[in-house]
Amino acid sequence: MPGHDLKLVKTFNYQRPAIDRGYANQTLHLDLSRLTITARPVSGQMKELFIGGKGFDLWLLWNAVKPTTRWNDPENAVCIACGPLGGTPAYPGSGKSIAAAISPLTGAPIDSNVGGYFGPYLKYAGFDALEVQGKADQEAVVLIDGIDQKVEIFAAAGLPEDAYELSEVMTAHFAQGKPRDISVVSTGAGAKHTFFGCLNFSWYDPKRKRARYKQAGRGGIGTVFADKGLKALVARWDSGISVDTNAPADRERLKKVAKLHSREIVELDPTQNEMAVIGTTHLVTIMDDHDLLPTHNFRYGSHREAANLGQAVFRRLFDPGYDGCWMGCTVACSHGVRDFTPLSGPYRGRKVFVDGPEYETVAGCGSLLGIFDSHTVIELNFYCDAYGLDTISVGTATAFAMECFELGLIDARHTGGLELYFGNRAAALEIVHQMARGEGFGRVVGQGVRRMKRLFAEKFGADPAIMADIGMESKGLEFSEYMTKESLAQQGGYGLALKGPQHDEAWLIFLDMVHNFMPTFEQKAEALHWFPMFRTWFSLCGLCKLPWNDIIPEDNRSTPEPAKVMKHVGWYAEFFSSVTGRESAPEDLIRMSEAVYNFQRVFNLRMGFGRREHDALPYRAVGPVTELEYESRAERYDKQLATACKVDIAGKNTAEKLALLRAFREQQYETLKDAVYQRRGWTPEGIPTLATVRRLGIDFPEVVALLTVNGVAA
Amino acid sequence: MIRVAGAEHPWRPGMTVAALLAELAGDAPGCPVVRIDNEYVSRSNFAKTIVPDNAEVFLIPMIAGG
Repeated sequence: MPGHDLKLVKTFNYQRPAIDRGYANQTLHLDLSRLTITARPVSGQMKELFIGGKGFDLWLLWNAVKPTTRWNDPENAVCIACGPLGGTPAYPGSGKSIAAAISPLTGAPIDSNVGGYFGPYLKYAGFDALEVQGKADQEAVVLIDGIDQKVEIFAAAGLPEDAYELSEVMTAHFAQGKPRDISVVSTGAGAKHTFFGCLNFSWYDPKRKRARYKQAGRGGIGTVFADKGLKALVARWDSGISVDTNAPADRERLKKVAKLHSREIVELDPTQNEMAVIGTTHLVTIMDDHDLLPTHNFRYGSHREAANLGQAVFRRLFDPGYDGCWMGCTVACSHGVRDFTPLSGPYRGRKVFVDGPEYETVAGCGSLLGIFDSHTVIELNFYCDAYGLDTISVGTATAFAMECFELGLIDARHTGGLELYFGNRAAALEIVHQMARGEGFGRVVGQGVRRMKRLFAEKFGADPAIMADIGMESKGLEFSEYMTKESLAQQGGYGLALKGPQHDEAWLIFLDMVHNFMPTFEQKAEALHWFPMFRTWFSLCGLCKLPWNDIIPEDNRSTPEPAKVMKHVGWYAEFFSSVTGRESAPEDLIRMSEAVYNFQRVFNLRMGFGRREHDALPYRAVGPVTELEYESRAERYDKQLATACKVDIAGKNTAEKLALLRAFREQQYETLKDAVYQRRGWTPEGIPTLATVRRLGIDFPEVVALLTVNGVAA
Repeated sequence: MIRVAGAEHPWRPGMTVAALLAELAGDAPGCPVVRIDNEYVSRSNFAKTIVPDNAEVFLIPMIAGG
C-alpha cells in the first residue's frame, strides 16, 4: 500500500479448533525477540480455577514473569483474553476483551476491560488468550487470521503514528473487502513517552463506514505494547456470528435467558438512564448534585458550571444511531461526536469523528482540571485516543501538576513556560501534545503522579508532605473520577482495589453515602467482599458489567438485596451454565472470582506490592487537606467532629479542627482495612492466609512458599 | 396530568418534585434522582424543582454507576 510497507517475517499455519462450550481450548504465544509463534493447550485446571479472560491473563502472566521483572523487561507479557461467555451476540454486553501486563505505573499486574471485537475474534480464530513477550527489532504488525488459519508477523515501516489513522489503514489492508471482519489493537505516539499509554480496540461500524474504538485505558498496557515494538495486533474473523458460534452447551437455554435480559434493557433503559442515547454522561450532574464530581484535583465535589459538561450538552452533540461496541448489545452506550473540529494539534481545523466521551473522561479532562467547556473535553478525548493515552491518568496527573503550580510548588521555569493554572484549556491541550511528541513538561506529567511527587521534591524542592496529601494515586495508579471524602466504603473501594484506585472493583458511593445501606464496618466489609468479587466475574467471562446494575428491574427495590440486583445475578448464573455446561448458582460465581481475586493479591505480593502498606490512600481521598477545603464544607465537618468524634469544637480554629478530623478519618480507614481483610480471609497485613488459598484451590507450591516467606503461618 | 413511572398522575400548579414523591409515598422510597423529560433532578433540588404539566417523570434507581 502507498506510504507504508509490511514485510512478512514469520508465518504460523494452524488447524483452527472447534469452539467447545465457550472455549477454544488453546492460547497463542508470540515472542517478538525470537520470532516464535506457538499454540499452547488450555488445561482443565486452568478453566476450572481461572475461568477465562482476566483469569487466563493473570495465569499466563504469572508464568511469564519473575518477581524481579520490570515493565520494560522482555519477559513482561501483554496478554489479551476474551472469556467463555464473550462473543455471544444475543446477550447484552458480551463482547469484552481483557488486557493485562505488568504495569509501568504500579510494577504489579494491571488489567483493563474493553469493548470492540478483538477478544471474540481472537477466540473464534482459535485462541482463548494471546500472550506477547519479547521485543521486536523493527515495528511489528501481527495478524491473527481465523479465516485462513494463519498467524503472521510483519516488519512494518511507514505506518501512521496515531491510532485513528492506523486502525483505518490496518482495517483497509487486511479486510479483503469485508472491514467488519477486522478488529485492530493499537496504541499511539503518547504511549512511547509516558507511563500511561492505552490500547485502542476497534470494531467496524458499517452504518458510519468507519473503524470505531474503545480503550483499555488503565495502568499503561499501551506503554508496554509500544515498548515491545508492537504497532498493531489485527484479528480477522467472519463477522457472521450467531449464538451457535460459541458452541453453547444448551442453545435454547441460552437464547431464553439472553432474550429476557436483552428485552428488559430495551424496555427499561429509556425510562432509566438512557444509556443508549447519552451513555454515561448522565452521571455528571448527578455526581455534582451529590458533591461527588471531582473538581480542581479532587478539592471539591461540585461546581456551578458543571451543567456545561452534563448530559443535556452531550445529548445534542452525540451522533444519533446504534452505538454498540459488541454485536447486538442493547445497552449500546459507545457514543461519539461526528464532524468535530479540533482547535489545536495536527488535526487542527480538520473534521474528525471522536469516540466518546464517557463520564470518566468528562470528569478527568474537564471538571478535575477546572475546565467546564465541552469542546475542550472532546478535543482532549480525541487526542488522548489518537496518541494512545489513558484519559483518566492524563486528567488526574495534569490536575496534580496544576495544583502544584497554583500552590507555588512548581512554576513556569519548571513547566517550560506553561501557565498551568486550573482552567487553562490551551495548557491542558499542550501538555497532551507534548506527551505525544515526547518533549517538554508533558513528558514529566506523563510519568504519572507518583513519579512527579518524587521528581518535584528532588529537583524542584517541593514539599513532599503536601504532595503526598494531594497527589491522587494509590499503588502508583492515578485515581479515577469520583470523590470519596464522604464515603468510607468507597475509600475502601479505591484503596483496597488490587490494581489501584479504579472503580471497576467497587462503586459503593450511593449505597453508602446516599442510601446508607452499610452503616457498620462489618456491613462495609461485606460489601467490599461481595461487590469486588462479582465485578471481577465479568472480566473472567468476557462481559461488560453495565447490563447488571445500570438498567434495573422494575421490582428490584422490593427484593431482599436490591443493591446486588439479584434477579440479574441469577440470569448471569444461567448464562454461564447454558454456555459452559458447568451448572452454577449465583454463589458459585462469587467463588470463581474469589480464586482469581486472591491469586492476583498473591501476585501483587510476589511483585513486592501486596501488603497493608500498599493499600494506603492520599489524605485528600479521605478528608479535607487544606483549611479552605474544610471551611467550604464547615457545617458538615463540624457536625462530624461534634457527633461522631464527640469533640467540643467551641473555640477551636480551623487548623485544629482539621487535625482532629484527619486523625479520626485516618483511623476509620485503618479500622475498615482490618474488617475487610478479615472478611476476605487475609491476615492483618493484608495477605491471604494459607487456609484461604487452600479453600480456593490456588495453593500451588509457589504460592504457599511465597506466603510462608512473607510470614503467613501454617 | 403527568406521567410518573409510566402511569398517569394528577398534576396541579406549583407541584414540586418533593410534593410529588410525597404523594407517591411507598412507590418511591429513598429515590435520590428523578428525570423530568430529559432533565435529571437530584434530591437536594426536589423541594425547589417544579414539575410542569404534561411532564413525564422517571424514578431513577441510582444504585449502580461506575
